This record gives sequence, C-alpha cells and structure tokens, in this order.
Amino acid sequence: MSAPTLSPTTATGTAATTRRRPRWRASTLAVVIPSALVLLTLLICALFAEALSPYDPLQQSLMDALQGPSAKHWLGTDDLGRDVLSRMIHGSRIAVIAAAEATGLAVLIGVPIGLFIGYRGGWWDWITMRAVEAIVSIPGIMVAIVIIAILGSGLHKAMFALGILYSTAFLRLARSVVLTEREEVYVKSARVIGASPRRILIRHIFLNIAPPLIVQVTLTVGAVLLAEAGLSFVGIGVQPPQASWGTMLNTAAAYMELNAFLAVPPGLAIVVTVLAVNLLGDVLRDSIGRGVRLPAATPPRPRSAAIARKGTAPLPAREDDALRVDGLEVMVSPKGGDPVPVVTDMSFRIAKGETLGLVGESGSGKTVTGLALMGLIGAGGRITAGQVTLDGTDLLQLPPSGLEKARGTDIAMVFQDPTTSLNPAYTVGSQISEVLRIKQGLSRRAAWDRTVELIDRVGIPRPAERARAYPHELSGGMAQRIAIARALSCGPKLLIADEPTTALDVTVQQEILDLFRDLQDEMGMAMLFVTHDLAVAADICDRIAVMYCGEVVETAPVEQLFRDPRHPYTAGLLSAMPHGASGTPPLPVIPGAVPTPGHWPTGCRFAPRCAHAAPGCALPVDLTPGQTTTNAERLTRCIRATDLTLEAAQ
Amino acid sequence: MIKLVGQRLLAMVPLLLIVSILTFSFTALLPSDPVDLIIGDRGSNEQHEQVRERLGLNDPFVTRYLDWLGRAVQGDLGTSFFNSVRVTDAVLLRMPATLSLTFASVLISVVVGLGAGVAAALRPRSWIDRLATFGATIGQAIPNFWFGLILASVFAVTLRWFPATGYVPLGENPLGWLLSITLPALALGLSTSAALARQVRSAMVGVLQQDYIRAARAQGLSSRRVIFRHALKNALVPVVTVLSFQITVLLGGALIVEQVYAINGIGSLAIAAVRQQDIPMIQGIVLILVLVVMGVQLATDIVYGLINPKARPA
Ligand code: SF4
Repeated sequence: MSAPTLSPTTATGTAATTRRRPRWRASTLAVVIPSALVLLTLLICALFAEALSPYDPLQQSLMDALQGPSAKHWLGTDDLGRDVLSRMIHGSRIAVIAAAEATGLAVLIGVPIGLFIGYRGGWWDWITMRAVEAIVSIPGIMVAIVIIAILGSGLHKAMFALGILYSTAFLRLARSVVLTEREEVYVKSARVIGASPRRILIRHIFLNIAPPLIVQVTLTVGAVLLAEAGLSFVGIGVQPPQASWGTMLNTAAAYMELNAFLAVPPGLAIVVTVLAVNLLGDVLRDSIGRGVRLPAATPPRPRSAAIARKGTAPLPAREDDALRVDGLEVMVSPKGGDPVPVVTDMSFRIAKGETLGLVGESGSGKTVTGLALMGLIGAGGRITAGQVTLDGTDLLQLPPSGLEKARGTDIAMVFQDPTTSLNPAYTVGSQISEVLRIKQGLSRRAAWDRTVELIDRVGIPRPAERARAYPHELSGGMAQRIAIARALSCGPKLLIADEPTTALDVTVQQEILDLFRDLQDEMGMAMLFVTHDLAVAADICDRIAVMYCGEVVETAPVEQLFRDPRHPYTAGLLSAMPHGASGTPPLPVIPGAVPTPGHWPTGCRFAPRCAHAAPGCALPVDLTPGQTTTNAERLTRCIRATDLTLEAAQ
Repeated sequence: MIKLVGQRLLAMVPLLLIVSILTFSFTALLPSDPVDLIIGDRGSNEQHEQVRERLGLNDPFVTRYLDWLGRAVQGDLGTSFFNSVRVTDAVLLRMPATLSLTFASVLISVVVGLGAGVAAALRPRSWIDRLATFGATIGQAIPNFWFGLILASVFAVTLRWFPATGYVPLGENPLGWLLSITLPALALGLSTSAALARQVRSAMVGVLQQDYIRAARAQGLSSRRVIFRHALKNALVPVVTVLSFQITVLLGGALIVEQVYAINGIGSLAIAAVRQQDIPMIQGIVLILVLVVMGVQLATDIVYGLINPKARPA
C-alpha cells in the first residue's frame, strides 16, 4: 500500500499522524468521571441484580402497599407492596439489555445495508433511500408502534422494533461514508499503479467509519433508553410484572394521587442514565473531532511592551478640515488574552471634498481605523486614546445614541464585499428607503421615490425595477453601486470606503472609482479611501497616508509620494508595484513579513525589514515634518527621512 | 410562491405512495390471519372463506393494494376489524386533541426558544445563555412523559391549578380547553424549547458577525432594529428547518404524553389498535399522521420561502 493513496483529509489519515493524546481538561474530567461512575453503577446493578436487591422484585405484600421511603424499604413500595429499590435494580438490567439489543440490531441492520447501497448505487440506492425518507417522515414512536403491531409487545420484540427504527440512522451514516471515500479513492487511485481500488476502498471505509459510528452509537443508546421507557409506559413495551423503569412509571402514573414519590426513582434513573450516556457521547465526539482537525498553532503571545511616549505633535488646523483624527489608539483583546494595540498614534485630517487614501498591507490596521471612526470596532476592541473631530464635534465624546445618530447622517461607510454587506433577506430598495425613513423621517412613499432616484444616480438602469431586486439577484458591481447609494442617501460629510473595489471584477473597478469621483464632485463630502492597492489610491486620492504596523509611516500628496518617497517602507511598496503598462508582476522587494499585532518592535516598527536601519532606529519614532521640504503636508516616521536617497516610482 | 407550493406538493406524491405501500404491505407480514381476529376460531371453514372473499384477501397483493389505494384517495380507509367504525371517522374524531396538544407545545417551544435564544445570543455566557445550554442538555435526557407526570403531580394533584386528566374540546369550552392542554403542552414544549434556543443562539451569533449587520449599524440604525429586523429574519432561516423536524418529534411525543393525562387522542387509538392488531386502523393512523407531517413540512417550506428570498424559485 503506497502512501499517496492515504488521503490526508480523511478522519483517520490525519488522526494517525497528528493526533496527540488529548490532554483532559478539568472541565472535561468533571463530566467524564461522574458519567462513567453512573454507567458503571448501572452495569454492576444489571450484572448482580439478584445479589444487590434487598427483596425479590416480584414478591408482593399487599399489607405494605404504597409506602413511602423507610428503613425497611429505602425507596418505599408500589401498589402491590413490592420493594421499589429492588425493582429499580432489576430495571437497570432491563435498561442495559434494551440498549444493547436495540443498538446492536440497529448497527447490524443499518451498516451493511448502508454499505451495500452506497457501494452499489443505482436503483438499489434510490429505492432504499426513498423508503428511509418515508420512514423518517413518520414520527419515530409511530414507526415503533407499527412494528410492534406486527411483532407483538414484550421487551425483545419492542427492542427489535426500535432496532429497525434506529437502523435508518446507521444506514445513512454508512452510505455517506462509502460515498465520500469512493470519491477520494477513485480520484487518488487513478495515480497509483497496481493498487486495486476496491481493496483500497474497503480499507478506507473500515478506517473511516469507526469514529462517526461510535458517536452515533452513544446517541442511539440514549434514544433507545428513552423510547423503551415510553413504550413500556404506554404498555406495549416491557410487560408487567417484569420490572422496567418504564413500567414502574406506568404504575406511578396510576397511583399519582396516593403516592407521588413512586414516579421519582425510575424517572431520575432514566434522566441520569441518559444524561451520562449523552455527556460521554459529547466528550467522545469532541475528542474525535479534535483528533481530526489540526489544532491551529497559536504562538505564545508575549506581553507587548507598553508604549509610553508622547506621540506625534498635533497637526496644525486647517480651515476646511472636515475630519481631524489625533493620536487615535485602538486596543483589541483577543479571547482570554491581554489587550494588544492594533492602531497607535494615528493622526490625519481630511478637508471637505478631499480624498485621503489610507494605504497598507493587510493587518496594518487600516480597516480598524475606518471602523474606529464609525465607533464600530465591535466587542473586544476599544478606543483607548485620541480624538476624532468631525466638523467640530468630537465623535469619541458622543454618547452611544449621539454616535448612532451621526452614523448614516454625518458619516457613512461602504464595505469591501457588496454581496455580503447587503442584507440577503430584504430587497435592495427597502434597505435604502429604510435608512431614509429612519434617519430623515421621510414617509414611506417619499422614501421610496428618493430611493429610486438614488439608484438611478449611481448609474443603474431601470432603477424602479432594480429597487425590488434582492441582493443575490444583482452582480457585484451593481450591488456595490447600491451600497454606495445607501451610504450617500443622507448626504454624509465623511464617507469611509473600505477597499470598495477589491472584491469586484477588474473591468468594473474603474467604473466604481469613476462613480466615487463623480459623486464627490457633486456632493462635496470628504472621503477616506482605505486600500492595499497603491495604483487605485493614485487614481482616486488627493493625498495618501501609508500605514505600517498600526501607525502612519508617511503622508504626502499623491504626486509627491510617488515622485519622492521619504520612508523606506513607502519606497518598498512603490517598487513592488507592477511597472507601467507592462503589468510585470511585482517582485518581493521587502524581505520578511509584516509582524502581527502584539509582536511589533519597540523602536521603529519597520526596523527588522529595513535596509537602512541604524542604531537610533531602536527607539520609537514620531511622525514629523521632513526638513527637506517646508511643506506641512509631508510627514514621515523615519529618523533617516532626510538623509536617504530612495527610489521613486517609475 | 405559488410555484414553490406547487413544486413541494408534487414532491409529496411519491413519498405518500411509498408510505402507503410500506404501511399496506405490513398486512402481508402479519403472523396471524386477520380473519381469525375478526370471527375468532369458532367459525366454520365456509364462514372463513366468506369473510376472506368479502375482505378481498384472496386477490393478489397488487390488486388488493390498488383497491385500497383507490378507496384511500377518496378518503375511505376501510373499517375497523373490531367494531364497524370507519377508520377515517375514528381518526378524525381523535385528531383535534392530538393536534391541539402538538401545536400548543410547538407554540411554547417557539416562543420560549426564540426568546431565550435571542437573549443568549446577545449576552453570551450570561445566566440565560447558561440556562439554555443546561436546559438543552437536560431536556434531551428527560422523558417528556415523566416530566408530564411530575408537572401533573405538582400542579394538578397538589396545587389543583389544572385538571389532572381529560381533554376539553375547544368548541365546547375554550377556557377548559386551554387548562386541559396547558400541562401536557408544557411537558412537551419546554424540553424542546431549550434545544431550539440553542439553535437560535448559534444561528443568531453567526448572523450578528455578518457584514450586513455591521453595514446596517454603519447606517446608524438602532441596535434593536438591527437585531430584530436585520439579524433575526436571517437567523430564522436555519431555525425553520430544524423546527419542521421538531414538530414531527413533538407529534410523536404527544402520542405518549396523551397517556399521562388520559387524553383521548391518536395515541390511545393507536395503542388500542396495536393491542388488537386492528390492521386497517393502524394503516389509517399512519397514513393520516404522514399527511399531517407533510402539511407541516409544506407550511415550514412556505415560511422558509418567505424569509429566505434565495429559496424562491426564479
Ligand atoms: S527609522 Fe530606521 S529602521 Fe525605521 S524606516 Fe527609518 S531607517 Fe528604517
């Protein structure tokens, strides 16, 4: 048997190579130990019922009927004066027999048939599966009742009925294993010479059917115990005088008014047993699941060095500023971990009608910055410092209700993937008109008319008709136009566009960029354009802020940034761009990888990858105006910004 | 929507046929001779033959099946072996009690399950979240008829808030009806509601992470609106599928719980029929129950189509 035929995706394939003995956690143990004890007690009672019972479970004593618990009869007596404890102990034997018989039968019937029809396929498969569907569509208890009608009642016959009923689950399970493995094996074995696919298939099936089978068995045992109790309770399962928990409950129901306690012991026994089986099954399923999936390697997270420094000096105010962000800091707490900074010392501003590009690789914190401005970083994230001033109001000082009011009206956002940012359950028109009605108080009619206008404005033909379409009925470009129409519906002062063209077809990207430009000319809002693509940024932005490891490393007007980058990272990004019209794929110019949040160097965060690093770079660097230019628009976060000669874009 | 309903109705025909073949063919499996059951061992051979002839038992299997099917389609499911009651009448007479109980328990399950599920999703690891998890685990292990017994002994026998037994038809006395099904419906509905709450919770948690939820917040819609208008409708999509299956389970559970409260529903009819090996009655019950289940599935399919535009045929 050659190695390549063992598919790495199948359960045991990986389990064999990567499974480490799962370390039992305390919470798991707290479940496993009591459950195992319960089942052990049950087994002991079942095996040694005669020896353990204080009385004969069938011995009647009408003098002692319906007594409560006492020293003589620990759990009291039933209507015929029989000792309840003894009947409970004997009942556990019935429970064990019932579970074993019905589950065993279900496996014996279901698995072979499932294997057969899965392997054979065709009509056999079709007819059997239709019959299974028919059986499954009837309430299970009714199926059991029908089979009992044929066979007659009594423990073994009733368990035979349950065995047939639950065999459908095993049948489906076995069939699906065959079908999956069949696909795997035939695809792979095409490449292997001399191996008989049938033999490999059989081997594979036996390897892969065990884990789901075990889980299904535990589920079935629990279900059988409940079903047996139910059938015996209504009198068509175990027959009196034989003691089963179900028949005991039947008695208890009849004498409920005289001795309510009778219902307690058998009921609790059922609950506890089924609970133990189910909980063990859960643990089993989890540990099998864990063996299959490779645990994602989570590297130890070192405590990030506290970032204590004064940060960048406040940027000088300009008259036409729409948005000013000063010293913004965002921390994110990963599950069960210390907060980690993802954005630090973030300062920029955008004038009315201006577009600032926020450019960086994924993980640089550019999207988080956009969301932070909206107050939408979500649970686990927190803004820990800074000011966000939109048209004179500090958004971070607003109460939640004030921020909610500002969103949509003053500040709006367009997301990356239009197909997921529109609600699939509503028509696109209703999603725009909803905003108009709620944010602007328009009437239903007026909102709808305005919606159609907006849809028309973003360049969608037949707007009245398209307004009634659901998102999945539109193309990506079309959906993004809708999302833009919704974001701009209330005429915001600031529009944040988070990679709005990245998910779109290349041919559509340019159209959407043109649309943004047109709309900005018309409405005069400030725009924060978040992108990883310098070429897109060059196309639409007036200025660009380059982000690296949660901070701005350089900001400059587009044309200056491309002609004369002052930060080594910017220069690296520029030289990695496809050159001119030839579209030659970029070379990996910057060695190494972007460090993830929590792993940032304490000094210049680019230092480990910087070809120009000097000893002074080990200290934190602020964003400062370069000395070569007097232009206040140019800021760089590099101590060698003025003395380096960097390659510009071509 | 009409197209959707039409498609589903068409898909039911083969399933119904298969169920009818299955239920019918089990007469052939029966160990005892139905004629013996009807006239006892006393009858002469001649009488036996007459009865066989009358019941059509001498015809080939296929002929008998087609005969039975032909009459079943017209609503005639034959007469009981033991009293000359028409099966259709007997089943329809008992159906309201069972259906009342089933749908009351579905209602409880949905109301409690949705409420707790949404609350748990909004506040993970809160007490309500833990309660739902705990309830789902316990609910799976409690036999609902036992839960019914306990409820009866506390609220009916001891506190006397509700009647312990019996069913009052809705048409006769609406309040009495409500009182008579409250306890059994609670017994059935509560244990399933926890499982449903878990479903709602996980669906809701998944939906709340979706982009469109963030986008709706970005439009400045209130949390309440985002949760109940934008998230809930999407979260219900997978829940409806589960619910359809759970209604079938509850219907089965109702057959047993009926016995606790001495409700004369389909459950006692079926059990009596099993004891007497009353074949036409059992066939009729199964067939009508399958019809009910299919009706439920059709209804959930319609709801599914209403809340999930993608499921509607173009
Ligand atoms: S500060 Fe030093 S390490 Fe950082 S970019 Fe400038 S030269 Fe490179």
